[in-house]
Amino acid sequence: MEIRNILSKKSAKLLVLLLINMLIVTVSAAMYYSLSMTSTIDVYAAEVYFKEGTDNGTSGLVVMLGGQNTTAVITGLRAYPNASLTYTDPIRVRNNASAGTYAQLRLVPVTNPSGNADQFVYIKFMLNATTAEYKWLNYTSDGSTWTNPTGATSWTVTGIDGGEEWPIVIYTMANATATATSSVTIEITVDVD
Amino acid sequence: MASPILPEFFALLSVDLFALLSMLTCLLEEKFPKAISYIYVMGALMGFGHLWVSREFLIFFGDYMRFLYSVLYLAIALANVVAVNLYLAISKKSWTLAKAWSVVVTFPTLFISIFFVYNYGHLQGAAFPLLMLQLVLAGSVVILGTSISVILSPALLKKLRRR
Repeated sequence: MEIRNILSKKSAKLLVLLLINMLIVTVSAAMYYSLSMTSTIDVYAAEVYFKEGTDNGTSGLVVMLGGQNTTAVITGLRAYPNASLTYTDPIRVRNNASAGTYAQLRLVPVTNPSGNADQFVYIKFMLNATTAEYKWLNYTSDGSTWTNPTGATSWTVTGIDGGEEWPIVIYTMANATATATSSVTIEITVDVD
Repeated sequence: MASPILPEFFALLSVDLFALLSMLTCLLEEKFPKAISYIYVMGALMGFGHLWVSREFLIFFGDYMRFLYSVLYLAIALANVVAVNLYLAISKKSWTLAKAWSVVVTFPTLFISIFFVYNYGHLQGAAFPLLMLQLVLAGSVVILGTSISVILSPALLKKLRRR
């Protein structure tokens, strides 16, 4: 009888502990699961965006900015046969944050020239950082094929300060024998860190 | 995509260890002070509180700090596992029980904990290394099974040696 009592006492204690522990372990696991779900991401307007440069509207050059100014299409860029042409300020990258808030930038090739390699000599894009941290994406042609950038440029070191605007300079040159109707399309992105 | 390991995973592991200790000390209550099972329940409950605080202050605590206090809690849980093992061996002189405890509880818990801490440290924020985990667990089970067989039947080891 005594042994039975002890056994039942121990069993009852074990059962109580089991239930309590199961409860603690379950709610802890649920808490951990909710922790992994807690990360919240809020949507903010982009601090770094495109802006038309002073070349916009001159000689048929048109900069069309997309929604939130985070995309831009430049049309009307010209390339003269056997003569280089420089657009010093067709489009800008603006950091709209407060002064002292730096953003690092780099140029990244997305879509290589669509064709007409025999019509062009080069098309170059340069991120004209005011601190002389120039970042180049050069597309050059040997008269038959394009030589394209193999990857992104390096990141800027100091970066663009809040309130600053950096132009993307575009250099073009067509082949001496190029025909007037030839065109090429290139797509690049500006990465922001 | 598999979820990455959060630093609080170690706190969750510690809660499980305290719950395990609570149950085992209850099963072997004649070897331990009566209150010890409830103390370990409190330890597990503290782990829950730990997770709660972590969730509420998630924005303020950095990853490194969360990792440090979670690993500290895990270290306390593991220290308790080892301490119980030593208590059985030294204070109670229950060698067989201490050996069984080391094989069934101490070794697997230390092994699993070290495995996860190492992986977290090595690949911070990486997904659970499922294949490696399975291999390690399979190895652990083999070692565990062999050890238990040898402890329960020491004659088996002699037989194996003769062969």
